[in-house]
Amino acid sequence: MAEKTSDETLAHLTRISQKPGVQSTLILSRENGAIVRTSGLISNSTSANPNSALPASNDATPDNYTNGKKEGGIQNAEDVASKVWSFLTAAGALVDGLYEEDEVKLLRLRTKKNELVIIPDTKFILVLVHDTPPA
Amino acid sequence: MDSIAQRREEILAKKAKLAELKKQRELRRAEGSNRQSLSGSPAREILSPTPRRNDVEQRRDLDKYLDDILGDSRPSSVQPGSPAGGRATRPTSVISASQLSSDNEAQAGTGAQYQIPTSMVDQGIQTLSIGNLTTVYESEGVDVGPPPKRDTEVITYSKGVQADIDWSPRKTRGSGESDIERDESPTRSPRTPKRMSRRQKERDEEIRLQLKKEIEEEIKAAQKAAEAGEVQTVSGENYPFKTLSNEELTAVENSDDFIDFVERSTKVLERALDQQLDYDILADYALGGASVDDEDEGYGSSGGKKGRRIKEIAQFWDERWSKKRMISDLGFSTKFPELVLASYTKNPSAPHDPDGLIQVWNLHMHDRPEYIFHAQSDILTAKFSPFHPNLIIGGAYSGQVLLWDTRAKSSPVQKTPLTGSGHTHPVYSIDIVGTQNANNIISASTDGVVCGWTVDMLSQPQEFLELTSPPPAKTDDMAVTCIAFPQSDPTYFLAGTEEGSIYPCHRYDRAGAKAGVDGRVKYGGHAAPVMSLDFHPAKGQIDLGDLVLSSSVDWSVKLWKVRPPAATGPSNTAAPGAAQQVTPILDIAREDLVYDARWSPVKPSVFGLVDGAGSLEIWDLNVDVEVPVQKVTPSENKRGALSGGMGFMKRSLNKLAWEKNEGRRVAVAGMDGVVTVFEVGSDLGGVETKGEEWSGVKRLVGRLEGSHEGVNGR
Repeated sequence: MAEKTSDETLAHLTRISQKPGVQSTLILSRENGAIVRTSGLISNSTSANPNSALPASNDATPDNYTNGKKEGGIQNAEDVASKVWSFLTAAGALVDGLYEEDEVKLLRLRTKKNELVIIPDTKFILVLVHDTPPA
Repeated sequence: MDSIAQRREEILAKKAKLAELKKQRELRRAEGSNRQSLSGSPAREILSPTPRRNDVEQRRDLDKYLDDILGDSRPSSVQPGSPAGGRATRPTSVISASQLSSDNEAQAGTGAQYQIPTSMVDQGIQTLSIGNLTTVYESEGVDVGPPPKRDTEVITYSKGVQADIDWSPRKTRGSGESDIERDESPTRSPRTPKRMSRRQKERDEEIRLQLKKEIEEEIKAAQKAAEAGEVQTVSGENYPFKTLSNEELTAVENSDDFIDFVERSTKVLERALDQQLDYDILADYALGGASVDDEDEGYGSSGGKKGRRIKEIAQFWDERWSKKRMISDLGFSTKFPELVLASYTKNPSAPHDPDGLIQVWNLHMHDRPEYIFHAQSDILTAKFSPFHPNLIIGGAYSGQVLLWDTRAKSSPVQKTPLTGSGHTHPVYSIDIVGTQNANNIISASTDGVVCGWTVDMLSQPQEFLELTSPPPAKTDDMAVTCIAFPQSDPTYFLAGTEEGSIYPCHRYDRAGAKAGVDGRVKYGGHAAPVMSLDFHPAKGQIDLGDLVLSSSVDWSVKLWKVRPPAATGPSNTAAPGAAQQVTPILDIAREDLVYDARWSPVKPSVFGLVDGAGSLEIWDLNVDVEVPVQKVTPSENKRGALSGGMGFMKRSLNKLAWEKNEGRRVAVAGMDGVVTVFEVGSDLGGVETKGEEWSGVKRLVGRLEGSHEGVNGR
């Protein structure tokens, strides 16, 4: 009982993705950029996407869809992933260039409407997009 | 015109190199697929980045050549950067990067070898090379067929990388592009054939165009194939990623790495989201101050003077774990004042869940506990060790004393054995006393047994003390409901009992008194079980450490002035045997069962109490000894936490805890399993206290004592 199951951990993710204001979440593998989990995002090539692996993570989608639409359409997962990837790469290069032996731990990017929270870890990257409260 | 010849030559050279690279890649791919099929777990695959990355590097090279061929003039930024640049900052990537570059070096070497012969031929007999060109190309076209998606992937990736190349100094450019320079520099100056016929030029042009077209077509085809076969975006922006198959996906998701990662990262996310709600750092006060006005109204509505306001700041409840459990104890961490611990009784409708539960909540993370700890039996009391920020001690219904560590998993790192030397009855009271370097856990069970333990060894108690009721009582065993130690003396404590009396006890034999209950003094007054005892924290100018607050289910809170333990001996010698009854100096009757009463850790005259009606009352003795200065009820908005069945009792509050360092926050909790945290105004909390507050309490105590002595005729 004390052991954490993957269901339980994923429940955390699901809950976060269902929080008010949260538009989408995305987990990437750090090594090869593979998309492990998404929510609130669509994949533009569903047929090729083997067996629902990619977007099926949660059922929060109806909520998130409307949420996303308000803010200008649902983005597709690959698109977000690739952009986050290059952003993270750039950030990594910046840190590398400035401080040796250091690493990026957290990126929070505020735009007028949204905030991206990017948590890079040794093996995975967690990305969350949410509305910012009206200032 | 020279440029055409030059270009053609370059093209040739690159073709050759392309072919070579392709071959290498095919080989590697074969290898790679072998490896993939062998290692079933994708986790392992993810773990071994080097081959993949090599691939990428190589592909990047390839692309570059393609670009070169395609473009009329080579953009300066086409070269891929240092291999490390494309990756993030992990130490592992550094290693692999070095591996990579050496790999590239080798590649470059082979490339160069190839070039030399070709260019020589080329230079000698230029026209002959035309036929050659096409054939090389075609064979290539066949080659390219199968691995198209990889190509496209890389194209865009290298574009992404170009961006940082622009900024990086020249010398950091990896060995990857150095071969371009190499074949450029020799070609440029020597070969400027001035006498090249117009016809030749035209032909060259033709060839070039043809080549360009064909390559373009090829790329298009590749892209199409990629879209059909694999997950690919149409948009030019892309990066190297692969799609995980279902098996891979489940394997990844079940890997410990992934679970740990999700655990950690979601906590960070929650904090990030919650922090956002508290305050927006981008707030622009020039743009309408509506929220500020709201704040002001909040002040007013909480009633009374500003300094005495009380505001609810958080409620903690978890659907999975808090349901149908009652809260048995609360405590703030001294090291991390934002952490609140709550211990829970069992959930009767979930027999498969562990009975005992502790959740550590974070004021910055509202929807989920920071830590969850389990035990096999209901936990009745728990607290953070004041001497070690990672340790949590608890007492269980089974009589066990348990120790958890926030660095460990959810089960206790140490616990006392179920049978034998320790407690055999429920442990309702526990404390850690002593100093940083020498401290003991003291636990008391309802059969009157008090044990002392060292934190390092819970296998057997260091001290064992059996409290027995002094003579006039009908039973031998003393049913201890709570114990409390004074700040100054860890060898002496008070024990509250079910019968209502409070007895002083000694841990050790001392002059004039044996270890155990000191039968000569009895603090009588409560008519029902004592629910809590609390010594005054006494951190100020005047020592008020002898003031004790007790609460009871007889609907009252009483204030006592405790005799110093040393004085009990001599004062009592006159009448040995007969217990001297001490009455409270202040008796505050309430309108309901009082379950807990605690002094503020900083304000000498302030204390809080919670009752069976579900309200929290804050009292200030300097202001009034008959009515509380504040009375609030936790809001009901935290879900329908109370799933019915408990009737009127559901709102009852069992426990109260002050945040120890600043005394600004009070946590309360009870039957419904919801922890509510309030923040009190500056008159009721906060570190700065005025001297008159202390002297005020002193005067009050003196007055009360005087009037009581008058009444008692003593």
